Amino acid sequence: MSLSQSELKQIEGAIVKLLREEVGPKIKAESGKYLTVYDDKANQVDLVTKSDKNIELIIKARLKELYPTFHFVGEEEYIPGETKIPAEPTFIVDPIDGTTNFIHGFPYSCCSIGLAVGGKSVVGCVFNPHLDQLYHASKGNGAFVNDEPIAVAKRPLTLQKSVVGLEGGADRADSPGSNFDIKMETYKNLLSDKGGFVHGFRSLGSAAMNICYTALGIFDAYWEGGCWAWDVCAGWCILEECGGTMIGGNKGQWDIGIDHRVYFAIRGGCTADEQKKFAEEFWAQTTGDLKY
Amino acid sequence: MYTVQVEAVCSLKTLDKGGIDDLHYCTMTVDLRSIENFLCSLAKNKVGPIIKTKSGTQSEYDLKTGSRQVDIVTEIDKQVEKIIWDTLKQEYPAFKFVGEESYVKGVTVITDDPTFIVDPIDGTTNFVHDFPFSCTSLGLTINKVPVVGVIYNPHTDLLISASKGNGVRVNGEEYDYKKKQVQMGPLIINKSIVALQPGSAREGTNFTTKMRTYENLLSADGGFVHGFRNLGSSAMSLAYIALGYLDSYWDGGCYSWDVCAGWCILNETGGRVVGANKDEWDVPVDNRTYFAVRGSCDDSGKDQAKYISDFWSNVEGTLKYD
Repeated sequence: MSLSQSELKQIEGAIVKLLREEVGPKIKAESGKYLTVYDDKANQVDLVTKSDKNIELIIKARLKELYPTFHFVGEEEYIPGETKIPAEPTFIVDPIDGTTNFIHGFPYSCCSIGLAVGGKSVVGCVFNPHLDQLYHASKGNGAFVNDEPIAVAKRPLTLQKSVVGLEGGADRADSPGSNFDIKMETYKNLLSDKGGFVHGFRSLGSAAMNICYTALGIFDAYWEGGCWAWDVCAGWCILEECGGTMIGGNKGQWDIGIDHRVYFAIRGGCTADEQKKFAEEFWAQTTGDLKY
Repeated sequence: MYTVQVEAVCSLKTLDKGGIDDLHYCTMTVDLRSIENFLCSLAKNKVGPIIKTKSGTQSEYDLKTGSRQVDIVTEIDKQVEKIIWDTLKQEYPAFKFVGEESYVKGVTVITDDPTFIVDPIDGTTNFVHDFPFSCTSLGLTINKVPVVGVIYNPHTDLLISASKGNGVRVNGEEYDYKKKQVQMGPLIINKSIVALQPGSAREGTNFTTKMRTYENLLSADGGFVHGFRNLGSSAMSLAYIALGYLDSYWDGGCYSWDVCAGWCILNETGGRVVGANKDEWDVPVDNRTYFAVRGSCDDSGKDQAKYISDFWSNVEGTLKYD
């Protein structure tokens, strides 16, 4: 099943409406109110709340109603090793991206709804109701923030002059060669005057927001391991519609699937050659392959 | 209205050695709330629009020399500081002024006199990259203590202000920080979100100390904090702690103008600023290393003191700046 450009735009519009009218107000109203009561997930750091589950159910019901033949993959009902992303049109949804932010009331939690066809992201909508920023795009139709077309500033891209999104993540088992160890060593290399010597890194605690900020060119890049298809699906389409590119976080991974787990988003506003050179220089600072 | 009586040097005559007779000590009545209002208006109406329109437009900038090649200063920083200074001089001619751009190392000192301590644009890297966390930070110290603080981020239109004894306002509305603190629950290290910033010095022992400490804080075997956030602006980090979005902020290498305004705002919400290194419970505004912690529901301060001690136990090495 393939979808025309105008069908994609319609789907984008339906998701925007759902986010603005139903999901956003819920996230905004409930953020920061339940710090003292939350379920433990994999460990103490990865927090899942009731709101997360409720919002996923609302989104699923509404999308099923509108697009009954489409598949649905959501964070809350995902079963590791079992849930697969089919080639048919599939909504890939993170009801609340940045759950820790949500719990603490840090204003960078958002809802991320993407549509993948043939395993590629073709519609993406991310809504941060705290800052009232709704990013939306569909393949071939351009990218928008609150219905305003996004124009990425043309700027040369170099590692030393870059600001990069980096997160600590929830996986913190510290042993030589562990993912946590590789991340920490890589951050050090990126910052060091003997390494990447980047302008800086920023952490917002939301993969979807980090990708959107990369799409806008506010970040030059965002490097991450450990997140899932629902963290990146929506942002991926927005990023590409802004001239950015998504590759793998490990050396030489130029072409990756949506559930690759290790991602590297690079902004547009520059040439493909600059992006390629940036990726190679960045990868040279990594101390090993992240594995999940 | 809350006012303070201050002993200040009213005469602008040069102070010679032994020229004590030239000094007129007098008592000034300083209405902190009216100064807060004045700074709010300056931040919102004069400074904010410049920051907002010029953000992301400065591809030409100076890089500070030597080891701080990633420390960026733009022409706009200097212009904005001049606007602020000129405006304040006119309204408060007897007050002293310390600003990032006019600071001279080893010469500029903070005295007991009423002193505006100002960062025209905090988060200069953000400003250059158009990351929406650059802001203006306007503080006032009396007897070296921050007593007025105003921070304005024009990108998110967040104006947060406070003055000693007068509480905190967000965009002019009284902020109910107590309600927020009830929602946040007790202050515990492994339930907290910490603001961390590596800064522009990227070699030497301070850099090593920071990196080791970050790793300790994150590690499952160490502090195991919920997470860290990096906003690239000290003033915004302090503002976010006062608002209850973040629990604490640990940094070294910043200056009085990065923290002065935020310090006052944080104090008004029951928060506390100590040093970044172990047992530095009482530090001056120009200490260069800081650890800021939010207020909690525990009015005895025990919660906070335990959090601070627990945090310090993750600090590996000592941060030290000339």
